[in-house]
Amino acid sequence: MPYTAEAFQNEFLALGATEVNAIVTVASSGAEGGRRTAGATEIIIVDCSGSMMAEGRMGAARQAAKAAVNCIDDGVRFAIIAGVSTAQQLFPAPGELAVATPETRAQAVTAIDRLQANGGTAIGAWLKLAGQLFAQRPGDIAHAILLTDGENGEYQGYLESVLQGIAGSFTCDCRGVGTNWTVSELRKVATAMLGTVDIVARPQGLTAAFEQMMTAAMGKTSADVQLKVWTPVNSTVRFVKQVEPQVADLTGKRVADGPRAGRYPLGSWGSESRDYHVCIDVTAGAAGDEMLAARVSVVEGDEVHAQTLVRAVWTEDSALSTRINRQVAHYTGQAELADAIQEGIEARKAGDDRTATLKFGRAAQLAHESGNKATEELLATVVDIEDAATGTVRLRRKVDAADEMALDTRSTKTVRVGRAQ
Amino acid sequence: MITQEDCASCTDERDAGAAFCENCGKALATGAGLAIGKDCPSCGAAGVVGDDGYCGNCGMLAARPRDHVEADAGPVAAAVTDRGLRHHRNEDALWLATRGADVDVVVCDGVSASFDPDIASETAAEATGKVLALAAAELAESIGAAIVASASAVAVLATTGDPRRAASNPACTIVAACVRGTEIGYGWVGDSRAYWVPADGTAVQLTEDDSWAIHAISLGVDPQAAWNDPKAHAITAWMGADAGPVAPRTGTFFAETPGHLVLCSDGLWNYLTEPAAFAGTVRAAVRDTDDLLGAARSLVDFANAAGGSDNITVALVPLNTPDS
Repeated sequence: MPYTAEAFQNEFLALGATEVNAIVTVASSGAEGGRRTAGATEIIIVDCSGSMMAEGRMGAARQAAKAAVNCIDDGVRFAIIAGVSTAQQLFPAPGELAVATPETRAQAVTAIDRLQANGGTAIGAWLKLAGQLFAQRPGDIAHAILLTDGENGEYQGYLESVLQGIAGSFTCDCRGVGTNWTVSELRKVATAMLGTVDIVARPQGLTAAFEQMMTAAMGKTSADVQLKVWTPVNSTVRFVKQVEPQVADLTGKRVADGPRAGRYPLGSWGSESRDYHVCIDVTAGAAGDEMLAARVSVVEGDEVHAQTLVRAVWTEDSALSTRINRQVAHYTGQAELADAIQEGIEARKAGDDRTATLKFGRAAQLAHESGNKATEELLATVVDIEDAATGTVRLRRKVDAADEMALDTRSTKTVRVGRAQ
Repeated sequence: MITQEDCASCTDERDAGAAFCENCGKALATGAGLAIGKDCPSCGAAGVVGDDGYCGNCGMLAARPRDHVEADAGPVAAAVTDRGLRHHRNEDALWLATRGADVDVVVCDGVSASFDPDIASETAAEATGKVLALAAAELAESIGAAIVASASAVAVLATTGDPRRAASNPACTIVAACVRGTEIGYGWVGDSRAYWVPADGTAVQLTEDDSWAIHAISLGVDPQAAWNDPKAHAITAWMGADAGPVAPRTGTFFAETPGHLVLCSDGLWNYLTEPAAFAGTVRAAVRDTDDLLGAARSLVDFANAAGGSDNITVALVPLNTPDS
């Protein structure tokens, strides 16, 4: 198989140290020479609530949905859901999936013209219907695009209960158009469904966003790839985080696989590379002891595609144990960067300018140090960066809501070590 | 243990054992192979040591192939390399090959501060040993040329394998010797040493360390003060990509009396910096054991008993004795 897994770490620990960190890079040239190893199903969910009438959003959403439909490869199953106070299947007939052909795509495009903004926002119900449709095709590479422009109108806790039921059954990329939706709400969906979240501030940007998401989805060749982490007795996994291309904590998604191993879902996979930060708590060894702290493998069902070892070697030589591993340090900083931005935004909303300034200052420093230019530029729309190196920033009086939401949604975007420095 | 076995990888017939097969260069025996499927020495769980040498229960490494390697050429030569007590792996490497009474022996010591120093020492010992097998005359020159050739092999390591090697390239020291009759040719880079220890009389340290202490002493610094300096053991010459052109120093020694040629890494001589003490310990080891291998083991045991703070390698070649 074309997968590779490689661990980057400083395996040397000072005597008494019990925390083992490693960055595991998983790369694949795409299964089967770029051909899918499973079928694929795509569902497009378009918010049709009344607010979509504003700023020409409905028209732009129709155009974007059509563009996405035209990106679907022949043979892929697909459906379109119109999101109102309930979930209504727009195409094909309710409860069915269409097989993409030039004819069905044309029919779908015609159907999309019938989308009308008229109703409420019920994200839980929309996702539940998508989950039911995907359930017809177990084993498929299952992917949904969710577009909304407002806050969820369902009773508290309903969305969470739906997410619990469908998590792991498909991936879902979420996009919010305009600025009246809630970042934390869509992030909740994206995190549970191993997808992305982003803002499309102006409706004109929707077509490009939909095309990009669908093209990326069509590039996936494997449906359900998992990271399996074995740890020795008396050791525990403190966390497993995806750290590139964006930060996503997978720790809570662990499914036990025997007494000493757990599987973390990575979702679908194509020709791509992602980095994971694995942190293990072990019991300290004596000088000269070497321990296998974790055996990390990339698996699909029973098949092991690649494997790498995370080691711990205890030494009295501080020249060895104090070596900083560039990858671990870099991604620890990128995760802190995402946290600092989100905490800064929370503090600003709560009116705590002091904390907000501190957090944004730290974020500016981390973004600058790591060469994360995109995040640094987004930060500069929310604060005036006086000196990035020392993290000296000043809150802006007036901040465009779209800018702040863009900073929030993209706070988890990371850069590779050494890239764009 | 390596005792005059044939190489499992090829069918080269040799007169005696070597740490590496003289023909194909493959390591002849590995300790880890013995541990697979065995009980874990750390947690005691039964039959849990996996193919990669780690315990399937507690994760501890059961054994590394190079933790303890012995080369036994009967009465002609013997060598032992050992991890010691404080280092997590053995970064020393040795080569021993014999044909009749002719002996080629190489001891290398990986520089701990470099990345993959164990690969550097293994590469240097093997490359030098393979070239030396052809040497018939002009031993010192041959050794110098062999060390220069193997230095290139070590330098290349910086650009192969693990990318971290580029930042801190694999490096090691080397001391090599060829024994042909009563003639000993030797050469070295770094602070691994060769001694002539006669049965009676004063021991001769054939090599002079490429180290900060020696350099400082040659410039007039008080020897006591120089050796007490934290930088004392910092080496001033080594093999590796950052070493520049390697210029091994070489020499020739004719043994006129019975005695032993001893090659060792600093894991042994650090505990015996005075030549007299060194000679006394070697003579006692030879006297108190039944054979050469036993004597070499006993010298390793001595270093471990003294603290075992570094990897230990020692090779013994008797000259002018009834057996040789």
